[in-house]
Amino acid sequence: MSSLSTRLLISVSLLLLFFFSVTIVVLDIAFRDAGEQAQEDILDGQLMSLLAAAEPNIYGELQMPPDLPEPRFSNVDSGLYGELRDNSGEPVWKSQSALGLELPYGDPPGAGEHRFSRLQLSDGTPLMALSLSVEWELASGELRPYTFSVSESLDSFHAQLARFRRQLFGWFGAVAIIMLFSISLVMRSLLRPLRQIEKEITEVEEGKRGSLSESFPTELHGVARNLNVLIGSERARSERYRNTLDNLAHSLKTPLAAILSVVSEQPKSEVNAKVEEQVQRMNDIVRYQLRKPATLVSGTLGVAPVAVEGELLRLVDGLKKVYRDKQPDIRLDIGHDVRFRGDMGDFMELCGNLLDNACKWCRKKVELCLRAGDDNDSGYLNMIVSDDGPGIPQEAASQLMQRGVRLDESAPGHGIGLAVVKDIVASYNGKITIGRSPLGGAEISITIAPEGRSSSSPT
Amino acid sequence: MRLLVIEDDTTLRESLCAQLATAGFGVEQAGDGKEGLYFGLEYPVDLAIVDLGLPEISGIDVIRELRRKGKTYPVLILTARDRWQDKVDGLSAGADDYVVKPFQTEEVLARVNALLRRSGGWASSVLNAGPVSLDTSRQELKVNGSAIELTSYEYRIIEHLMIRAGQVISKSELTDRLYDQDFERDSNVIEVFIGRLRKKMDPDNTIKPIETLRGRGYRFSLERIQSE
Repeated sequence: MSSLSTRLLISVSLLLLFFFSVTIVVLDIAFRDAGEQAQEDILDGQLMSLLAAAEPNIYGELQMPPDLPEPRFSNVDSGLYGELRDNSGEPVWKSQSALGLELPYGDPPGAGEHRFSRLQLSDGTPLMALSLSVEWELASGELRPYTFSVSESLDSFHAQLARFRRQLFGWFGAVAIIMLFSISLVMRSLLRPLRQIEKEITEVEEGKRGSLSESFPTELHGVARNLNVLIGSERARSERYRNTLDNLAHSLKTPLAAILSVVSEQPKSEVNAKVEEQVQRMNDIVRYQLRKPATLVSGTLGVAPVAVEGELLRLVDGLKKVYRDKQPDIRLDIGHDVRFRGDMGDFMELCGNLLDNACKWCRKKVELCLRAGDDNDSGYLNMIVSDDGPGIPQEAASQLMQRGVRLDESAPGHGIGLAVVKDIVASYNGKITIGRSPLGGAEISITIAPEGRSSSSPT
Repeated sequence: MRLLVIEDDTTLRESLCAQLATAGFGVEQAGDGKEGLYFGLEYPVDLAIVDLGLPEISGIDVIRELRRKGKTYPVLILTARDRWQDKVDGLSAGADDYVVKPFQTEEVLARVNALLRRSGGWASSVLNAGPVSLDTSRQELKVNGSAIELTSYEYRIIEHLMIRAGQVISKSELTDRLYDQDFERDSNVIEVFIGRLRKKMDPDNTIKPIETLRGRGYRFSLERIQSE
């Protein structure tokens, strides 16, 4: 019962069942009443024809002629029976059709009275009977009561009724099925905007779109608008949060720098060394904690995929400046129109840290290979950064991946680069592997694949 | 060598400037972007150290404006924002290197020396020209392999001349870069220092490392040897 359409279909089915049952019962009663009325009219007519055909004999007693206008009185088993009885209660005449049959018409009704009744033949056939008593004046002037009775088998009426009921059920059944089918079709089209809104929310979550569209029916406008407001305020909130963190980092670091600088003005001593060490520790903590990936802070809600090539080129230009003495040969191999589903800052942290390390350690060559999945929208991304430096020994590789472990003890303050990379990759549910590159040095491969997709590299 | 330090935190700025002065640089300081930009445009500066988070005019805009006005001297960024995006923004604006706060003063000194050397066209921290070899990181001068004792003023002059080897450096430029403030400009103190340097480096007058161009200035004239 969790589905709206199931609920509606079940309710509609129950309602249909109820209304159709009532309708069927009412129609059945009406049909039967009308049928019985018609039957009575026919019997009345037959009785009148018998009455008209009856003739007095010379004594004035009533007699029936051998040939009656209604042939069914003459045919055996025609289902129409006639009878004439006098006051003795014995039949003076019986139609040929009723020969050998005992028809229990019962006591005659009062003079001039019509009486309908139901009879049953000995074989169970139901009959409808009509009796009429008349006072007949004999030649002697005596009044003698006669009773005319006709009866007709109800078999054909019952057959007609059964046929009617069959048709009734057939038609109503068909109508019910057609109605349920059309209702489920209508439901589908009615629920389509709901499915659409669900799909769009998923897309916003996955970062495929920034906000919900405006193309919803009036009833859903409010929902869509409020959701958009929610998304907007969520984004603004995380933006504010990040700015606050950023400002905190900024305003903490300048005093730390001042402490270090003032301390280094003093002659070298044990105290200086301790202060420097503690400042360095404070700085590492601040850096590590405040450089959490943006996704941890803001979630992926509504992050549109960003094109990365331009920023990467800027990064490489910057690195070439910084490593101007070394002049590393940085080769970029970027797939066509690669986009990153996430925060641009995070992407720059990934590339910046990896390329910076590669430049630091390489002899001459640094390579960055970036590939998106077949379908650029899927969010699949594979990045391989390699260099021709000394490489990273196996045991060091696993150690490097640990939190806070310095990857380069010889360059203080740069040690958490790879740990930051690791955190960012983890927050995007990605994988990171350290290996040896064909160039001879380290090769760091990062694969980010959205949930439910294969994380194997494309060939 | 004359440095311009633009940093809004007074304690940090003064401490850093004091140490840069001790290391032999002439130092100009500015506490906000506006003042810094003015100094950077109007004063003879060999290198600027710019904090990115400045009042009045942001560090990025100061650097961009300096470059737009044709200043080509190296710029070192001091930044507390150490996200790569911020670093790349600074480098794209025209800076040449960055130091992330908090930093060891030695690191700033090393970067400054490297940038100055590079701006003079030297790839390595050891400048070799003929038999003369100047190790800028150790502040050590050798001629034919033997070390020569120099006073701090003498070192500053030979370093300046060697970094700009081949170029004519005017006497007033040397004076400017020797002293922080105006200081008896018309005295012959530069000539005295040059004379002492010649005597120490070339007692037999055979190498002739420093040329005098009458009325124009001095030139370090030995052929550079670029180490690969």
